[in-house]
Amino acid sequence: MPAYCSQIAGPSPSRRDRSRPRRMILRGWLLLLPAACCIGLQTQASAQLSISGPDQMRFGGSQQYTAMAAGVPTAAVWSVNGYVGGTGSTGPISTTGMYSPAAQIFAGHSVTISATTAAAGSASLSVKILNLLPIFASASVTQTVTGTAFSLNVLGSGFVSTSQLLVAGANVATSFLSSGELQSAINLSPGTTTVTVGILNPNAAQNSPVTQTVPVEAIPAVSFTQAARLLDQATFGPTLAAIQQVQQIGTAAYLNQQFATPTTLMPAIPNPPVAACPGGTEFCAQNSFWENALTANDQLRQRVAFALSEMFVVSTDMVNARTIPSYHNMLANDAFGNFSQLMNDVATSAAMGEYLDMLDSGAPPAGQIADENFGRELMQLFTTGLYRVNPDGTLQLSAQELPQPVYTELQVQAYARALTGWTYANPTGGVPTSFPNGVPNYDQPMQPIPVSHDITAKVLLDGVTLPAGQTAEEDLTGLIASIFNHPNVGPFVCRQLIQHLVTSFPSPAYVSRVAEVFANDGSGVRGDMKAVVTAILNDPDARAADTDPTVDGGHLREPILYFTGILRALQFTNVSPQGSYFIASSYTAPLGQTPYAAASVFNFFPPSYVIPGTAINAPEFAQENTASAIARLNLADSIVRNHLTSFNIDMSPTSFLGQIASATGNPATDSANLVNTLNILFVHDQMPAAMMSAIVANAALLTDIGQRVRVSTWLVISSNFYQIEH
Amino acid sequence: MSINRRSLIRYASLAAGGHLAGLRPFGVLNAFAQAAPTQNYKALVCIFLFGGNDANNTLVPFDSVGYGNYASLRGPLALPQNQLLQLASLPGYGLHPNLPEVQQLIDSGAGALVANVGTLIQPTTRATVAAQMNLPANLFSHSDQQLQWQNAAQSAVTSTGWAGRMSDLLGSSFNSSASIPMITTVDGDTLFCDGQSTTPMAVSPGSLAGVSCGEGTAECAARQSIAQSFLGFESGLSLVQAANNTAQNAYQYANVLTQALSGVAPLATVFPSQNPFAAQLQQIAQLMQVRNSFGVNRQIFFAGVGNFDTHANQFGQQSLLLSQFSSAISAFYQATRELGIASQVTSFTMSDFSRALQPNSNSGSDHGWGSHHLVVGGAVKGAKLYGTFPTLALGGPDDSGLNGRWIPSTGSVQYAATLASWFGVSAAQLSTIFPNLGGFSSANLGFV
Repeated sequence: MPAYCSQIAGPSPSRRDRSRPRRMILRGWLLLLPAACCIGLQTQASAQLSISGPDQMRFGGSQQYTAMAAGVPTAAVWSVNGYVGGTGSTGPISTTGMYSPAAQIFAGHSVTISATTAAAGSASLSVKILNLLPIFASASVTQTVTGTAFSLNVLGSGFVSTSQLLVAGANVATSFLSSGELQSAINLSPGTTTVTVGILNPNAAQNSPVTQTVPVEAIPAVSFTQAARLLDQATFGPTLAAIQQVQQIGTAAYLNQQFATPTTLMPAIPNPPVAACPGGTEFCAQNSFWENALTANDQLRQRVAFALSEMFVVSTDMVNARTIPSYHNMLANDAFGNFSQLMNDVATSAAMGEYLDMLDSGAPPAGQIADENFGRELMQLFTTGLYRVNPDGTLQLSAQELPQPVYTELQVQAYARALTGWTYANPTGGVPTSFPNGVPNYDQPMQPIPVSHDITAKVLLDGVTLPAGQTAEEDLTGLIASIFNHPNVGPFVCRQLIQHLVTSFPSPAYVSRVAEVFANDGSGVRGDMKAVVTAILNDPDARAADTDPTVDGGHLREPILYFTGILRALQFTNVSPQGSYFIASSYTAPLGQTPYAAASVFNFFPPSYVIPGTAINAPEFAQENTASAIARLNLADSIVRNHLTSFNIDMSPTSFLGQIASATGNPATDSANLVNTLNILFVHDQMPAAMMSAIVANAALLTDIGQRVRVSTWLVISSNFYQIEH
Repeated sequence: MSINRRSLIRYASLAAGGHLAGLRPFGVLNAFAQAAPTQNYKALVCIFLFGGNDANNTLVPFDSVGYGNYASLRGPLALPQNQLLQLASLPGYGLHPNLPEVQQLIDSGAGALVANVGTLIQPTTRATVAAQMNLPANLFSHSDQQLQWQNAAQSAVTSTGWAGRMSDLLGSSFNSSASIPMITTVDGDTLFCDGQSTTPMAVSPGSLAGVSCGEGTAECAARQSIAQSFLGFESGLSLVQAANNTAQNAYQYANVLTQALSGVAPLATVFPSQNPFAAQLQQIAQLMQVRNSFGVNRQIFFAGVGNFDTHANQFGQQSLLLSQFSSAISAFYQATRELGIASQVTSFTMSDFSRALQPNSNSGSDHGWGSHHLVVGGAVKGAKLYGTFPTLALGGPDDSGLNGRWIPSTGSVQYAATLASWFGVSAAQLSTIFPNLGGFSSANLGFV
């Protein structure tokens, strides 16, 4: 407790004694003062008047001062530093002497509080303003990159901009984030397990720092396998640099960094198309897609957007490719947002409008039907599926062991009517004047025309009713809510996301754990995609093969991921004079995949696909057959022979692989090192020993270093241990 | 550890011979089979119109009453009568204006139409539809209806298609010395082609070259041997195993195809260019040309083209697709004549479903059910319409609801069984392949 002084100039002890009965009477307000309050220092002026109150106080509080005339409280005019009532820079003092110091006062400095009365003259008191005492609630010390660098984060209250953190008794550079949080970047010796952290507020009459002993959280050692597997699931393919980065900062920090990376946007397609993609707008859309996939920094966002583009499918087979950039950007922007926003943005996009015909679907005459295409597939393919499922994604069966349909044909017709009235926005994104609007706006959401919207009542899923007379926007909002809140959505959507990112046949328990996060992200929010993606990648099932290569799972690399994975790992460079990337499509098309050009809304492969002759659910295998298998081998051959257009794949003796393959001049050693690098890059450091020894033995026989690199690389990337991302 | 190159190569050749665990029976039996000359050759060619072709505008009543009724119900989607191609052999009907070659095939007797065919579990009426009795699962769903056409079963959830089951059953009797599977797909994997014990060969139209390698003869051989040796590793990973099985077959078929097609003369028949149907059918014709080197007496081919899902802009989209279809199937028929096997090859269409007669609010039509289909070939009893044309009336006796989604009067399983019988499936075997067939009055529609 601060010390309070008790000195009155003038009054005799007897007068003080006489005042006691009155103080008893005034007990009510005297109790407002601190218990240790004593009579304040009276400095000058009239011998008649004094000020009672503490001579120091802290920011953030208020103190009562009392003018005493002949030992009796008396009304006075109060001022601070000479200003009646105080000012913004001193802080206010009330007409009854309640003073609150302003934050602008320098801690440790004093203000002068004065009371003036007509009868008894005036009195002043110098009051020193002190910082708060820091309250140390908790602290964490976490490693930021492997080595000696750590981050100290302290939580509590009463922190000021000059608060000083101490580690093991020594001052460290301190960052003030708020009155509740301080940070410091500190260095610790390897192996340090705890540190003493102290906080000292200057000008706070604080004699010694408040301290706590804080455990040190080192980044768990990240193995090659852990880093490469995570990158294979979260990006368009690991590179040596990315593997090293994940090992340095840890998987959690890597994911956080990815979540925080802004969207790499696809540019709109100019008319006519630019030189990088002559010959057709779809090439421009593909050009941007490939450039993002191969080079963008927001790899996780782009990878999730790619997965979403294979769930909410649109295809340039049928839609104008000028709709694709805004559609892809929307998927990327919404990838870590809320699923209901994603549904809304998909529904109103020009791309989906064109593809599933919600665009220009007008109100049908009485007794006729509205275009059912989007309404049906929104449920069947995008959000609920045909049948009711359990929270773990398995089918709910009736007593007769029959699956339970989610919706009826009549409900599809109701959804179709609810979705009528939408056409292209006008050139500035607003509501156009005619329906249908014949002037396409490919970049902005569709807009509704009231007279073209069916205003009858609609009975939707689970009895949700859209009343008659609603606008198109109101119907859309109600319609999306009716689906978003359906219990199928979490398991249906999460299972497919898991299939795209991690494994073709997730266990029901895995689906259930992720669907639970979809239903509630921990803060009561349903549909939080960032939480869902985090849950998918951190799930024990996703991580199991980090330590046990025999855990079954994984998925076939679809052609786009096969191509990007190889090129990124081999450190391709783009050598097109125009910076073109679209030519990549010509290498994946023979394998059955061109970006944003699926044959139908069922995507390049359906999520339910089962490999013939087995019970294995493996969507990507729908494109794997005896023709595509050869095409993949031949694509691998074109890549290692550097026969691609627009891309240079350096496999020469001076390439990074070539240098490893020739470093010592000992064929056996160099070959083993080469294959070890390929092992880390392509198969997560989990290559079967017999495979490795076969490739090494062959490589050691090859004296042409370029050939040693080419053949060894081909043997790895053509093998099913790479083609299956496990 | 070092591996002796010679032993590696020997191991790999054994692998190529089909001694790997998990290799499916076709490969085991026939990996090194000697091709025998084909006798009594027959082939079925399925052409799948993905997305649901609108049969209501493919075959239209042409008599004045029938056309007038059609036109009034079809509204903005009605084709003008003076553009329809009236069939000489069936003067009461006209074809879509973009089907002139199909018109010629039918009128010349090489083509037949089968009316209002669709997925059914048993004969079905408006009353049984209303009572929801034994209806195919998920009517109007693309994926389900495609699969039900392909598996000829009552739900999409079976692991085999009807061609695959024919291959299982007939392989040993007709193709005992074949070097490739009975079924070839030129449009990727589909349920139609999958058997219990057999898998199809997939061919990418126009690109049948084998594994490319530019490392010199010796190193290419070594590289290939090592790569194939990996296919024999037991990883315990089910997807690696599955991919290994496919790769094993892929290597084998690539060798067979490369040898069979080396130096083969192009067909004289000209196929239309820039036409996805034609590219696929031309590839099929070329494979038929070299059938003797495969040792096959029976072949089934699968072709397929999409984008028939005309919810909007139906006129433009369907016209384009039917035009491509018409010229391609005509060229294909000519090619089978050139090869002298026109009466040994029967081509037929399948599709998800037809489309509602009543137009939707978007210049298109929504998912329907029963559809009209085309069968072409020298063995077809052509110039006829089989089955029963539906009564075009919204809410009428053939309507499953109120929008003109026709209840099929002929089950797709009857259509399939007719083709299977011609192909060589015995009456006794039919029920094995088509378990639902017994519920229908006729197992043979007589069109071929």
